Amino acid sequence: MKPFDVVVVGGGGAGLYAAMEAMKTNPSLNIAVLSKVYPNRSHTSAAQGGANAALANKAKDDTVEMHIFDTIKGSDYLADQDAVDVLCSEAPKIIRELDNIGTPWSRMDDNTIAQRPFGGAGRPRCCYCSDKTGHTILQTLYEQCLKKGVIFFNEYFALNLSVNGSRSRGLIAMNMKTGKVEAFPARTVIFATGGHSKMYWNRSSNAAGNTGDGQAIAYRAGIPLKDMEFVQFHPTGLRKSGLLITEGARGEGGYLVNRDGERFMARYAKEKMELGPRDLVSRSIETEILEGRGFDSPAGKYIHLDLTHLGADLIKSRLPQIREMSMQFEGVDPIEEPIPVRPTAHYSMGGIDTDNFGRTVMDGVYAAGECACVSVHGANRLGGNSLLDILVFGRIAGRMAAEESGKFEPGIISDAELKEQLAATRSNMQSSGHFERYGALREELGQTLAINVGIFRESSLLQQGIRDIAELKERFKKVRVFDSSDVFNTNLMQVLELKNMLDLAETVAAGAYAREESRGSHTRTDFPVRDDAKWHKHSVATLVNGTLSLGEKPVTMGRYELQERTY
Amino acid sequence: MTVSTDQHKEEKKDVTFRVFRFNPQVDSKPYFDDYKIPVERGITVLRSLNYIKEHIDASVSFRAFCQAGICGSCSMRINGLSQLACTTQVWDVLAKCREEGIIKIEPLRNLPLIKDLIVDMDPLVDKMRHYSNWVDSTMAESEMGKKEFLVSEEEFLRYDKATDCILCASCVSECSILRANKDYVSPAVLLKSYRMNVDSRDGIHDLRLAELVKDHGVWDCTHCYRCQESCVKSIPIMDAIHGIREDAIECRGAKDTSGAKHAEAFMEDIEKKGKLVEATLPIRTNGVVWTLQNLLPMAVKMIMKRRTPPPPPLVKSSKGIKVFRAMFREMSEHVKQDQKSHKK
Ligand SMILES: Cc1cc2nc3c(=O)[nH]c(=O)nc-3n(C[C@H](O)[C@H](O)[C@H](O)COP(=O)(O)OP(=O)(O)OC[C@H]3O[C@@H](n4cnc5c(N)ncnc54)[C@H](O)[C@@H]3O)c2cc1C
Ligand code: SF4
Ligand code: SF4
Ligand code: FES
Repeated sequence: MKPFDVVVVGGGGAGLYAAMEAMKTNPSLNIAVLSKVYPNRSHTSAAQGGANAALANKAKDDTVEMHIFDTIKGSDYLADQDAVDVLCSEAPKIIRELDNIGTPWSRMDDNTIAQRPFGGAGRPRCCYCSDKTGHTILQTLYEQCLKKGVIFFNEYFALNLSVNGSRSRGLIAMNMKTGKVEAFPARTVIFATGGHSKMYWNRSSNAAGNTGDGQAIAYRAGIPLKDMEFVQFHPTGLRKSGLLITEGARGEGGYLVNRDGERFMARYAKEKMELGPRDLVSRSIETEILEGRGFDSPAGKYIHLDLTHLGADLIKSRLPQIREMSMQFEGVDPIEEPIPVRPTAHYSMGGIDTDNFGRTVMDGVYAAGECACVSVHGANRLGGNSLLDILVFGRIAGRMAAEESGKFEPGIISDAELKEQLAATRSNMQSSGHFERYGALREELGQTLAINVGIFRESSLLQQGIRDIAELKERFKKVRVFDSSDVFNTNLMQVLELKNMLDLAETVAAGAYAREESRGSHTRTDFPVRDDAKWHKHSVATLVNGTLSLGEKPVTMGRYELQERTY
Repeated sequence: MTVSTDQHKEEKKDVTFRVFRFNPQVDSKPYFDDYKIPVERGITVLRSLNYIKEHIDASVSFRAFCQAGICGSCSMRINGLSQLACTTQVWDVLAKCREEGIIKIEPLRNLPLIKDLIVDMDPLVDKMRHYSNWVDSTMAESEMGKKEFLVSEEEFLRYDKATDCILCASCVSECSILRANKDYVSPAVLLKSYRMNVDSRDGIHDLRLAELVKDHGVWDCTHCYRCQESCVKSIPIMDAIHGIREDAIECRGAKDTSGAKHAEAFMEDIEKKGKLVEATLPIRTNGVVWTLQNLLPMAVKMIMKRRTPPPPPLVKSSKGIKVFRAMFREMSEHVKQDQKSHKK
C-alpha cells in the first residue's frame, strides 16, 4: 500500500476534525481515517448537552477569561493553564466554524447560536442543538470529510503501532470484513480513539467500544499515559443500564431529590445546587445512598431526578431524547414521574500524554480527543468542555501532523511483522487449553472497578482492585475465541478490546493507589483532603520492559494560584 | 407506561430467537438457528442477542455500539420489520409473532449481506457522496470562524427533524423501490438532501437538485410511505420527499426534467377540467387539499413510468368544478406562500 502522510485512528469528533483540518492545511497529502465503526456511529454522537464557548450570546458579560477560570477551578488546579488558555480562546472560533460549515445549532431570539447553563460554569455558555449536540456535530464533520475526499477505512480495527526503536513506521490494523491484518505505513499517526470508561462495564454511560484501544496501543509502544486515575462519574446514569441522562436536564431546571423528598444538594453546594460540578454532585448522590436516604429496588439503589415541575411542553421541546430514553430503558415518563438515577462512569480525564500541539514523546505520533491528556480537564472535566476539547485539539493535531509529516520518512512494515501480528492476534482462537469466557471476565472487571476503584476509594479497596485486575489478566491468557470465522469476527474483536481494557485498568488502579490525596474526581476516604505540597502534579504511567512504571510531571501554572475549590 | 417496572421483575418467559445465519466462508446458503432463552420483562432484543452471544453461541454476529438508540449500528429486521435492536423491547415484539413465542431476527434488506445480521453500509455512504449530502458553505474557508451565520429559529425548525437521522438504514431496508432498483437514491439520502437544500448556509442547492431529479432520483419514489412508517426516529421522511419535488417544480433549473414538466401539465389540466384520473383514490382517502399538495406530482411520474394503469378516459367537467377550481387556486397560493417563506 502507498504510504500515508497522515493516518488518523478514530472517526469521532476528534479524528474527523483532525482529518478535515489536515486536508485543509495541505490538500495534496494522502490522508486516511481508520475506524472500527462507521465514523457516524462514534460515541461523540451520544453527547447530548453541548459544547462550551464564551460567545456571550446569552450572557452578554461572559468572557473567555471567565471560561478559563471556571475550567481551571473545575479541574481542581490540575489542568495545565497554558493548555486551558488555548482551549477557551479557540472555543468561540471553533463553534462559529462549525456553524459556518453547517452544524444545526439551536438558535436564540436574535438568530445567534443558543446557549444554556451547564455544571461548574459561571455563565450560560454551553452551545447546543436541542439534546443531540454531539450527534449533529459528528454528522456535520463526517459530511465535510466526505466532501473533502478524506479516504475512509471503515470497520478496520487498529491492533498496534509498528515501532522501530523510538520511531513509528505506521499502523497495523485488521480489516473486519476479511479478517486480514493490513499494514498502514505512515509518516504520521494521530490517535483519536475516544475514552476508556467502558472498563466499568455495566456501571458506565459509554458505548460498548469505548475500550481505550488507542491508549493501550500507545502504552504498549512505550508512550506514556497521564493522570489515568482520574475517571469521571456522571451523577445521573439510569439505574438499570448506566445510560446517561444529560446534565442538560438539570440545566433546564431539574431537581435531585432523595427518599425524604429533599433537594439534598443544598447540603453540598448551597449556591450552585444541582448545577455544581460533576464530581461533587456524584459524591453527594453516593453519600445520600450510602447514608440510607436513597431509594431501593431490585435493580439497585438510586435517587430521583425530578423534571415533572418543568411541564410537558418544555420537556418535549428541549429534552425529547431524555424522555425517550427514560421511557425505553426505565419505563418512566419524566413528564409524570421522576427518573431513577445513580452515578455512572462517564469520562476518562487521563489518556495519552501530549503537549499543547497533540504531540506525544514519539516522533510522528499524535493524540487528540478523549484518548489524549493535554491536560485541560485536570482532575475533573466540566460538562460541555469535552466536545470542545476534541474539536479544538483535534484540529490542532490535524494541522500539526499535516505540517510536520514532511519531516518524517514513512516506515516500511514487513510481511513478517504482519504475520507475527496475525498469529498473536489469533493465538486465543480455539486452542485446546483455552476455556475462559470473555463475557465473564469483562463483567468481573467492571465490578471490581466499580467497587474498588469507584467514586470513593481507599487503600485496602484499591489493593483488592489491583489484585483482581492482575488475576483477571492471568485468566485472560486462557480466554477462548469461539468464533473461527475470518469474516466480521465480532467475538475476536471483543476479546481484543477486553485485553486493552485490562492493560488500562491496571494503570487506573495503580495511579489511584499511589495518589494519596483527594482531588477532583479522585476521592480517597483515607486521604480526604487535597495535598498540594505532595500531589500537585500529574502522574505518568509508562510500560518499561513489560511492567508498569509510575512517574510524575509538573503542572503548568499561570495566572491562577492554587485555591481551595468550593461551590 | 407509568407503573414502576419493578413490580414486573419476576415476570419471565422462555422466548425463542430464530436468527438468520450466513457465513460466506462456509455456507452456500443462509439458514436459521433457534436459541431459546429466559427473558424478563423490560429486556431489549439487543440484550437478548448479547446474552445468546455470551452464553450460547459466540459466533452469532451483529453490530451494536451505543446500546442507547443513538448510533444506528444495531438495525435489523425483527419479526419482519426493520428497527433498532437496542430500543426494541422483547415483550412488545412477542405480541407480534407469527408463531407464538418465536421472534424472527433477520438482516436488513436492500444492502449487501456480509455475515449473519451484518450488511454492508458502503452503498449508502456512496449515495451520500453522490448526492452531495453536505453543506457546501457560502462562506469562503478563509473567513470561517470569524462570525456566525444568523439563522432564524424558523429555519432551524425546517431541518431540525431531518438532522435526527442516525443513518441506521431501517428505511432503506423497507423501501419498496430499492428492492427493484438498487441504484435508487434511498429515503435516508433524500432526507439528507432535503435537509441540505433548505439550509440557507448552503450554496449548491441547484446542483444537488439537478442530480436529484435525474434517473434513480426523487421521481422514482412510489410514495408508499413505508420508509416513514419504519423510521426509528419518527422523522416525517415524506415531507422531505414532497419538499424536494415541490422545489423541483418551482425551480427553473429543474423544470426541464420530464417529471416536473408533466406534473405541471397535469396540474393545469386539472384546474381547467377537473378531471382527476388516478388521483381519485387518494382523494377519497386523504381529502382534496392533501392530495393536491402531496400526490399529484408523484401520480404523474408513476403514470409516466407505467407503474400504475394509464389514466381513465376523460370525464366531462363536473358540477362541482367551480368549487373545485376555487379550492385549487387557494391551495396553490398556500403552497406558493409556503415555498416563499421557506426560501427566505
Ligand atoms: C453519554 C455521553 C454524553 C456526553 N455528553 C457530553 C456533552 O454534553 N458535552 C461534552 O462536551 N462532552 C460530552 N461527553 C463526552 C464526549 O462526548 C466525548 O468525550 C467525546 O465525544 C469523545 O470524542 P472522541 O472523538 O475523542 O472519541 P469518540 O467519539 O469516542 O470516537 C472514537 C473513535 O475511535 C475509533 N476507534 C476506537 N478504537 C479503535 C480501534 N481499535 N481501531 C480503529 N478505530 C478505533 C472509533 O471507531 C471511533 O470512531 C459525553 C459522553 C457520553 C458518554
Ligand atoms: S415512499 Fe418512496 S422512498 Fe419511501 S419507502 Fe416508498 S418508495 Fe421508498
Ligand atoms: S431516516 Fe430514520 S430509519 Fe432512515 S436511516 Fe434515518 S433514522 Fe434510520
Ligand atoms: S447500538 Fe446504537 S443504535 Fe442500537
